[in-house]
Amino acid sequence: MLGWLSNKTTPLSHIVQTFNQHALPPGSVLARDCPFLVIDLELTGLNAKQDHIVSLGWVPVRQYEIVLSEARHYLVHSPVSVGQSAIFHGLHDKDFDEALDLAEVLTELMQRYAGYIFVAHHCQLDCRFLEVASQRIFGKAAKFSFIDTLNIELYRLQKQGIVMKKDALRLPQCLSRHKLPQSSQHHALADAYSCALLLLSQLKHSHAEITLADLQLQSR
Amino acid sequence: MEVAEVTTFLAGTTPFDQLDSAQLANLAGNISVYYCQNGETVQLSAERLMIVRTGIFALYSDQQTLLTKLEQGDFYGYQLLLTGLTDNDNLVCEEDGLVYWLSADAFHQIRYQYKNIDIFFQRLFSRRLHQYKAQQGNSRFTLKISDVVQARKIAINGEQTVQQAASLMTEKRVSSLLVEQEERLVGIITDRDLRSRVLAANLPAQTQVQQVMTAKPHTIDKHAYLFEAVQLMSRHNVHHLPVMDKQQSYSMITATDIIRSQQDHPVYLIGEIHRQTSVDGLEHCASQVSSLALTLGKQQVPAHEAGHIITTITDALTQRLITLAQLELGPPPCVFSWLAFGSQGRMDQSLNADQDNALLLEKEPVGAVADYFAALADFVCQGLARCGIILCPGNIMASNSALRLSLKGWSGQFGKWVSSPTPEALLKSSIFFDLRVIEGSKGLFNALQQDILAKTQDNALFLYHLAQTALQRTAPLSFLRNFILEHDGKQKKGLDLKKRGISLITDIVRVYALSAGISEINTRQRLVQLAASGVMDSKDTQNLSDAFDVLAQLRWDKHQHDLIQGHDVSNLLDPNVLSGLQRHQLKDSLTVINDAQSSLKHRFCRDL
Repeated sequence: MLGWLSNKTTPLSHIVQTFNQHALPPGSVLARDCPFLVIDLELTGLNAKQDHIVSLGWVPVRQYEIVLSEARHYLVHSPVSVGQSAIFHGLHDKDFDEALDLAEVLTELMQRYAGYIFVAHHCQLDCRFLEVASQRIFGKAAKFSFIDTLNIELYRLQKQGIVMKKDALRLPQCLSRHKLPQSSQHHALADAYSCALLLLSQLKHSHAEITLADLQLQSR
Repeated sequence: MEVAEVTTFLAGTTPFDQLDSAQLANLAGNISVYYCQNGETVQLSAERLMIVRTGIFALYSDQQTLLTKLEQGDFYGYQLLLTGLTDNDNLVCEEDGLVYWLSADAFHQIRYQYKNIDIFFQRLFSRRLHQYKAQQGNSRFTLKISDVVQARKIAINGEQTVQQAASLMTEKRVSSLLVEQEERLVGIITDRDLRSRVLAANLPAQTQVQQVMTAKPHTIDKHAYLFEAVQLMSRHNVHHLPVMDKQQSYSMITATDIIRSQQDHPVYLIGEIHRQTSVDGLEHCASQVSSLALTLGKQQVPAHEAGHIITTITDALTQRLITLAQLELGPPPCVFSWLAFGSQGRMDQSLNADQDNALLLEKEPVGAVADYFAALADFVCQGLARCGIILCPGNIMASNSALRLSLKGWSGQFGKWVSSPTPEALLKSSIFFDLRVIEGSKGLFNALQQDILAKTQDNALFLYHLAQTALQRTAPLSFLRNFILEHDGKQKKGLDLKKRGISLITDIVRVYALSAGISEINTRQRLVQLAASGVMDSKDTQNLSDAFDVLAQLRWDKHQHDLIQGHDVSNLLDPNVLSGLQRHQLKDSLTVINDAQSSLKHRFCRDL
């Protein structure tokens, strides 16, 4: 993973460039054949300009299967103390002894999962933080193609004409609606895994021929 | 990098519950998770093991009969991984759920690393073979009440009126109602009762149900076999039986339900037996038993169920013979119980079983009472002999005057065995401790059974000797795990499945059951009770039960084979005719017996 450091001849921005140039699956591809990377970030706040990424968790989904051998969870060094946000994600400064630089983590992410469709629950936030981080670290903003399980859920519920209660779209509520196992919240990998389960359930309850373009439309 | 939800689940799932957290994380890292939808057929693969996380999956044979249902924590695909053999069953999702796929590499690795996990899957595999066989026969011969009737309790309170009963019956479109008082079944009322006891008797519509109902009706347990319901109905000439689930009424079964559910069945043989008016007629019925046995064999009815069916037929023959004897001899001078011992008592009779029976009498057998029951016993025992159930070579039969005793007499007899046990005496008498009432007074019988259990429970000296007796014979496995064969008078060398296998288990289990005052008689039931009450380790009882099933199955298969060949039915098995898997199972079972004998010795023969 540290290979990029010794490889001095490659400018940092190349990592982003290679990632951005990698062909994404066409919209017509069946969801079954589309590679997904489900990701979750834990943050110190909601403002991508001011706040920081505390930890990342991800797990790929290929051929409708969650591949746990590639599940990852990283704590990253934060330029500022974790402070108040520890209340939410339960991570304290002392936990970061084994943390990595965000640069390392993003490099692994972009080198391994170029060409993947990224998935998150309420993805704008995660997408924005990843873009800002790559701009800061590599001098170039990475372009991620995200779909959003929250919006897909909203689309499904509206289509069924279901009146939504407050909080109905939060991940735990979605999990119990889909009769999926709950897990502890605010752990990046646990949440990424839960989100992956939700994605599978959503996919299986759509029509069999659902394409990536359909998902992107529902994610808007 | 583990997903806590997955490792937590694995940590709570046998056999992975013995792994530490690092090993669990490693295992989880070799899993893919899949969401399966209702109606979807699971695609099996040689490359991985399926673990059910949530949902329900139904396994069908290639003939589309339901074999079993898989739920949370169940496995599938181990057969292919263990043996490389596929079979043509298919697995259909019945309720949406999550499936874990564990890679074959990880499966094999954990298996080699942990002997217990390997054994677990080997067992699962061998049990599955059994289950597969068992389920194939489910079609007709082994239907249970619960397979035919649904939980449909339609009940009325005894204080309600017959008019309300009639309108409830009309509304629910049924011909009978359960009558309950404070949640307890007190009677039944049928449309025939309304006709004959209300209308014909010119009673008003406001008559209370409890005035015209049939109080204290015969009932049947939901887990009983269907043919037992038929037997009850034909013996007592009723057409409706309340079905009970643990003392609570569950549903009603009618004669029509039964006819609808099956057209050809041993029940008809049993029904026929109860209609016979002569010993000749019974003999004719009994002559059909061997062809019935062959049919059961073709239907792949597992041995313990076949044993149950054959016992039920012997019971029916006995009951009918007693009725015929009374027609000839007149009504009995006192209350009595006809007892069966040994395999009939335990309900695991085989085709070559001999008679083991006796009489328990309300009064002392002197004078007219003695004469009457001597004649009755003679009639029944000779009748049974004509029906192919041979006279007991050891003369353990009701026709032996030493075995026609009053409660006091029997109590004294058992008291003698229990208080001054000698190995020789116990060797002969141990089958007396497996007793069941076939006909006559249940109350009288219960009094005797309670008396025996009170004598034996926690009686260290008696249990010591009984255990010694159970240890006298050993399973025929040599030091090198080869089979030790023996001769019998007529046949070639072989392994005696009864004397050197099944009986050993029966003997061991009897000691434990008597030590704990368990009233069950059937070996499998005793094991269930022993595990439930914590007297024996549930793993040990499961092992013994599996071993018992394997041996009983081998014997049943052997008997089938003998019947087809036209030989006398024999318990002597030539191990060379067995398949590799059967040999393996046989050795396994004999090892289980050896282990159980050591435990028995340790437990009961230590202190003295």
